[in-house]
Amino acid sequence: MDVRIAFYSYFKDLTGCAETTESLAPGATIADLITRLQERFPRLIPMERSTLVAVGVEYQPRDYVLVPGEEVSLFPPVQGG
Amino acid sequence: MSWSRVKRFRCFLQFRAAETPIPVKRHLVINAEPIDERSLQQGRDASTTAGAVLVFLGVVRDSEERGPIQGIDYEAFLRMAEHQFSMLFDEIERRWPIESIRLTHRVGYVRAGEPSLWLEILAPHRGEAFAAGQWLIDEMKRVVPIWKKPRVVQAPLP
Repeated sequence: MDVRIAFYSYFKDLTGCAETTESLAPGATIADLITRLQERFPRLIPMERSTLVAVGVEYQPRDYVLVPGEEVSLFPPVQGG
Repeated sequence: MSWSRVKRFRCFLQFRAAETPIPVKRHLVINAEPIDERSLQQGRDASTTAGAVLVFLGVVRDSEERGPIQGIDYEAFLRMAEHQFSMLFDEIERRWPIESIRLTHRVGYVRAGEPSLWLEILAPHRGEAFAAGQWLIDEMKRVVPIWKKPRVVQAPLP
């Protein structure tokens, strides 16, 4: 299944892109996606613990099971104001 | 309907009115326009029961930990930021008897000395206005997807 991934803030600099897609096995979780992205973008590895993940407009935990066509966003801690 | 049933129904309605919070008036703006305090103040819609008007302005400082800066570039994941603010407003509605919340957050480049955030809370008393305002800003910095990137002042070439 394909999922779309968007990067925000300095994650765009770490990956060199604002968006990408990944093909994952059915039943794959966010943790699986992060592992795959770390293989493609090793500069994300040091950020693993602080990385926030949203599916659509909701935060989701690492064990969230992805559904085909979902849009996943990865970003560093937020800091508005 | 008999008179006793009417009375019971009225009591039920009064009970429901006491239990159901009055919806908070909400106004959220996230855009790149400079914050116009005077215009926002003129747009205030306070009832005679609002004894507290809390206004908070977040202003970009001219220095960060690493030294002087010219300003800050703000970036937002807009759709999610609006959704997260909406959930925070829902929670405020559950926790405090707030009458109105208006919040404006700038994105894009904001020069040092200019406001990036304007918040107004109207409430019957100051306690709930201060508490809700403090809580909202703390939670915003925890869950609303907005990021800052300071523009560092370039040192003059030797």
